[in-house]
Amino acid sequence: MTHEKIILATEGKENQRSIDTYLANGGYTAIKKAAKMDRKAIIDLVKASGLRGRGGAGFPTGLKWSFVPPDDGKPKYLICNNDESEPGTFKDRHISSVNPHMIIEGMLIGGYTVGAEKGYIYSRWEFQLEIGYLEQAIKEAYEAGFLGQNIFGSGINFELDHYSGAGAYICGEETGLISSLEGKKGQPKLKPPFPALEGYLRRPTVVNNTETFCNIPHIITHGAEVFRRYGTEKSPGTKLFSISGALNRPGVYEVPLGYSLKKLIEEDCGGLKDGKKIKAVVPGGMSAPLLMPAQVETATLDYECMQEMGSMLGSGAIMIIDDQQDVVDLLRITTDFFAHESCGQCTPCREGTGWLKNLVNGILEGTEGPAAVDRIYQVADHMEGRTICALSDAAAWPAKSYVKNFGEEIKAYIEKKGNRA
Amino acid sequence: MSVFSDGLHTKIKVLVERYETPRSAILPALHAIQDEKGWISPEAVEELHTVYNLERVHVKEVISFYDIYHDTPQRKFIIRYCGNLTCSMLGAKEAIHKIEERINELEKKSGDDCPFSLEVFPCLGKCDGAPVMMVNKDRVEHATVDKVEELLSKYAPLN
Repeated sequence: MTHEKIILATEGKENQRSIDTYLANGGYTAIKKAAKMDRKAIIDLVKASGLRGRGGAGFPTGLKWSFVPPDDGKPKYLICNNDESEPGTFKDRHISSVNPHMIIEGMLIGGYTVGAEKGYIYSRWEFQLEIGYLEQAIKEAYEAGFLGQNIFGSGINFELDHYSGAGAYICGEETGLISSLEGKKGQPKLKPPFPALEGYLRRPTVVNNTETFCNIPHIITHGAEVFRRYGTEKSPGTKLFSISGALNRPGVYEVPLGYSLKKLIEEDCGGLKDGKKIKAVVPGGMSAPLLMPAQVETATLDYECMQEMGSMLGSGAIMIIDDQQDVVDLLRITTDFFAHESCGQCTPCREGTGWLKNLVNGILEGTEGPAAVDRIYQVADHMEGRTICALSDAAAWPAKSYVKNFGEEIKAYIEKKGNRA
Repeated sequence: MSVFSDGLHTKIKVLVERYETPRSAILPALHAIQDEKGWISPEAVEELHTVYNLERVHVKEVISFYDIYHDTPQRKFIIRYCGNLTCSMLGAKEAIHKIEERINELEKKSGDDCPFSLEVFPCLGKCDGAPVMMVNKDRVEHATVDKVEELLSKYAPLN
């Protein structure tokens, strides 16, 4: 299957990530157009496009930008969230490798629009190779006069720097990221105030996902209607999906939102390997509740459908669980992960993630009987909506989903193992 | 006597002035120290305080919070093997077991001179190359049980 690529336009081309390739593909013309536009007109255009944040929450980008207060002569900041820490997600890594200049141009336009003259790209440490690509792209953009002071004589100033994380899931949460950029533990901050009013160093700050920024040049150049050619009414545009598991062609696919999940798996990815069958699908990163095979048949990849099916689109990270997999082990990996990554600020999350981990490991070690299955659900239920950030919810949702969909299988495992009741 | 080389001092000096607040330099400075020394010693924390005025508690909380920083001496090659969902479904467990076996053998022979250490890591962000590991800063994809010894022997002998 071939689809029109907007964000991955240079994918596979020679020197795909160089500034010359980007310029040859019409790069850095959107910022020139934007520089002649009124800032409010840009926000209205982004609002009209219906672009929703691609990091996981799906918050309307234009609306986020509109919250930034007018200039007061003091600094404002713009941050690209390239932390991409949700297990299953690797699309922003791919963009960093294929088209880093599109991130920079999107940030330039964003900076001009909200009045921020300083930006940071924050990447997770594990992206060592891609951090090199991003730093090279920033260097090229400075040399070509697209970053710095009075860019191409437009009066726009924008300084951009790269910042590397150090291995912490929670830094993908925007206020956790801001704490990290301030040189602190990546602990999220209480909202309100939202970063648009008080973010980095308590100054107005906009944090957008890498892929979100990459949609901006296209919207500026071609307008909201062209952007809306793809996708659905409530989820317009194309979206990058990271898809992995026992597939013939796992990878990153840019497809229109609303695309059929089944088609993506069977046609684009060439189906499952070695005649394996789907046991369940994680549609939106590790935190997303599971989709069962019957749901996979009709699921479309957009925010509305995933919500209707009781899951979420999240960051577009699809993991295929095949029929050879043991769900107790997958649940253990999931609960171990969140217990490790909880930042420890809020009791329901710090304690709850630990309890879930202990219950699941107890099942595997033979110290927990069948009652543990319902207890996992109860503990998870008490972790939702009670904390500063969404990590606690992110830990609770998959735990509940495994119990809901595979409770009998987990109980059968316990019985077979002969755990005491 | 400084525990940092002149080159490292130059790097940290640049970092402390690079950001809006010196405190933002803590993470990059720790990366630079670890790149040179392999770990962050109490003396390094002390030097960040005395020379660069970074609070000890601020530095220590960062070291303890993030997975990448080590406050104990490390072996030459840190293997970070992804233990998350996709990697586990595609053979991480068997490969990890094999690496553990080989490290145990090397330790029996040469104790702490064994060049490798292993961390089962929460996620490496490259599920389409699963199962994935990093050896220091290199990403190694498709590191299945049948290939893992060959892949690691490029770094140091496994015998």
